[in-house]
Amino acid sequence: MNFDIDPADLAFREEVRTFVRENLPPEMAARTLRNYHFLRDDQREWTRILNKKGWSGQNWPQEWGGTGWTPIRQFIFEDECFMAGAPPIDTAGFKMIGPVIMNFGSAALKQEFGPKILNGDVFWGQGFSEPNAGSDLGSLRTTAVRDGDDYVINGQKIWTSYVETAEMIFVLVKTDPEAKQRGISMVLVDKNAPGVTIRPIIDIGECHTLNEVFFDNVRTPVRYLVGEEGKGWTYAKYLLDMERAFSAEWPRNKRYLAQLRALAGCARSNGRRLIDAPGFAARLAQLEIDLQALEWLTLRALYERKGGTTLPVGSLLKVRGSELLQKIGEMQVEALGDHAAYFYADPRDQAVSDVGWPPGPAYAPGIVADYMYRRATTIYGGANEVQRTIIAKTFLEL
Amino acid sequence: MNENEDYAMVREQAQRFLNDAMDPEYLRALLEAPGSFDGRTWASVIEFGWPAIAVAEEHDGLGLGWRGLCVLAEESGRKTASLPLVPSAVAAQLIFAHADRAVHQEDGAALVSGARYACLALARTDDAGLADPPELHLRGALLHGTSALTPFAASADYALVAAQDGETFSLLLVALAQPAVSRTPSCAIDNSRAAAELSFDGARVRVLATGNEARTAFWRAASLAALATAFEQIGGAQTCLEMARDYALERKAFGQPIGRFQAIKGKLADMYIRIELARGCALDALAALEQGDPSWLGLAASARVAATDAYEVSARENIQTHGAIGVTWEALPHHHYRRSRALGIELGAAIMWRERLLAESGFASAA
Repeated sequence: MNFDIDPADLAFREEVRTFVRENLPPEMAARTLRNYHFLRDDQREWTRILNKKGWSGQNWPQEWGGTGWTPIRQFIFEDECFMAGAPPIDTAGFKMIGPVIMNFGSAALKQEFGPKILNGDVFWGQGFSEPNAGSDLGSLRTTAVRDGDDYVINGQKIWTSYVETAEMIFVLVKTDPEAKQRGISMVLVDKNAPGVTIRPIIDIGECHTLNEVFFDNVRTPVRYLVGEEGKGWTYAKYLLDMERAFSAEWPRNKRYLAQLRALAGCARSNGRRLIDAPGFAARLAQLEIDLQALEWLTLRALYERKGGTTLPVGSLLKVRGSELLQKIGEMQVEALGDHAAYFYADPRDQAVSDVGWPPGPAYAPGIVADYMYRRATTIYGGANEVQRTIIAKTFLEL
Repeated sequence: MNENEDYAMVREQAQRFLNDAMDPEYLRALLEAPGSFDGRTWASVIEFGWPAIAVAEEHDGLGLGWRGLCVLAEESGRKTASLPLVPSAVAAQLIFAHADRAVHQEDGAALVSGARYACLALARTDDAGLADPPELHLRGALLHGTSALTPFAASADYALVAAQDGETFSLLLVALAQPAVSRTPSCAIDNSRAAAELSFDGARVRVLATGNEARTAFWRAASLAALATAFEQIGGAQTCLEMARDYALERKAFGQPIGRFQAIKGKLADMYIRIELARGCALDALAALEQGDPSWLGLAASARVAATDAYEVSARENIQTHGAIGVTWEALPHHHYRRSRALGIELGAAIMWRERLLAESGFASAA
């Protein structure tokens, strides 16, 4: 593996930085930099700004209408966008179902959804987990029965993020209830189809980003079957590995650590800086090391994917990235001291936008809100306990 | 180690009462409204005489000492009850130790009966530590300045504060029902702490101590509060462990209860270890306090650090054990996650208490 930096990539970084500076609406950046959940409207607008430039499908090959960028360029792009405060692009569409449709879907599905994903016309909810099938996804029970040109879907999904503002849902269903994993298929469902009921779940941080989705005799056309019947499990594993590869969330870790560094360097009311406390400084140094290691692990995963080898480092990235985010968050709230006792769930709350309230840095309320939500990172995408089992099995044959 | 019969009785009564009183719906309602004071539960515990538990019999207390208060704090912590028992007990102790009995008889008696209660506004703003040196100022015997967000300040009758009177450190009791005092409650990470900022614009005060005596009393008060709060944190951590254990036995994945997986077993065992370490530190500090051993101050700092750690880790790991259900508003684990953070910030963060511990151990330059 050779990580020599190509001067052309440095020029690319400059090009991206200039583009983001000139095109990212400042109020959108200000909202995003506060660490609160992104707003769907911001995401849609930013996706369209990128699409005009031909840059929305960063991880898609050119034949799908993507950029065809190398992994290192995708990495640079994401880094620049995140540090500048651009909202994230839709992971579910671009990094999960998009590549599955493009790799395994019919020509008609590719034509129907490719351009819509690229332009932010269609956002997606992920219908995988069920009340009794979370990390143990194989035991799902939602069924799809063929009836003429439709599938009729019955069952319940849970923990579906952001589906309330999405257009479509990709759903894992049993098309053959007798067969175990071989009986699982993946179908696409219009969120507004009759029989789909969405019930909000208020999360630990008092926000609505999670949902239960109920399917009561919901019809979806057979052409919305992705690939072949019974291969849903294969596609799901492919997709989950994609999710985990990106769940290292290196740019988010980097931005949060930059905030922590800033906090540590500020003089407090007692005239001292946290960075001058040896215990704090040592812990901050360890986080810097962890972040650097995560960067290299992420790059390695991207290079190896490009080379066609499929070293499943997704689980490593997931474990390290999620736990690092939590550690940084815990130190951030510690560094905020008494300012971390204030809590505002919603950045649109009038009180949070009042100048000088709550006390402390402008991004403090977002840090505290994020500290609540961030507990989910070691759970979603397959709990870290399960990821460690996968690591032991895959790399150590235990 | 068996608990003396008196304490065992107090514990049993507290458990019985709080089990019924702290139902999840009620706790959730408190969390949803900023500045919520649990007046209903407070009214009940007054009947039981809880505010009098640590006060000597000569002052009409129950005479069960700090150990009695620690029992109540631990049981409150277990159920995430939020009661101003510790602040009131600390304030009452200071009044009886320092104030002219004749002048302050009424204040002391009101705290002992529970008719009034106190808050401890000892934290520094824009910091993770306590107000030594103080941020508030006395000018012409009147108090000026604004406190950090202080638990129970939204509705308390008194605040214990430190203030700078010229060059002199002063420890003061302030009756909050006066026009020169204003309270600003805020949305907080744990709304049931009834937290508010206190602003003093020439408030009248009662001086409890001045100079070195005041600074010593300030740290004694903070350490007494930290010690009792350590038991509250340990109680909370214990509940997190029990919740996680129960869920691990009930929840099935991959065809068996998740508690059968070593990843979960190891996690729960680690929680248990941290809690027992913290309990050891706290009991040690309490014994030293009771024996009049001056090392209790350093031991209380250890207890504070260990209990903060035990509660924060247990609250986190309880959420993790619950999986996605643990990150919902509906489920109870976040009550402890919030409370662990609130208790960890109030009275100064662990980072400050570590320095305090080193200073008490003779490493004077640590602070």
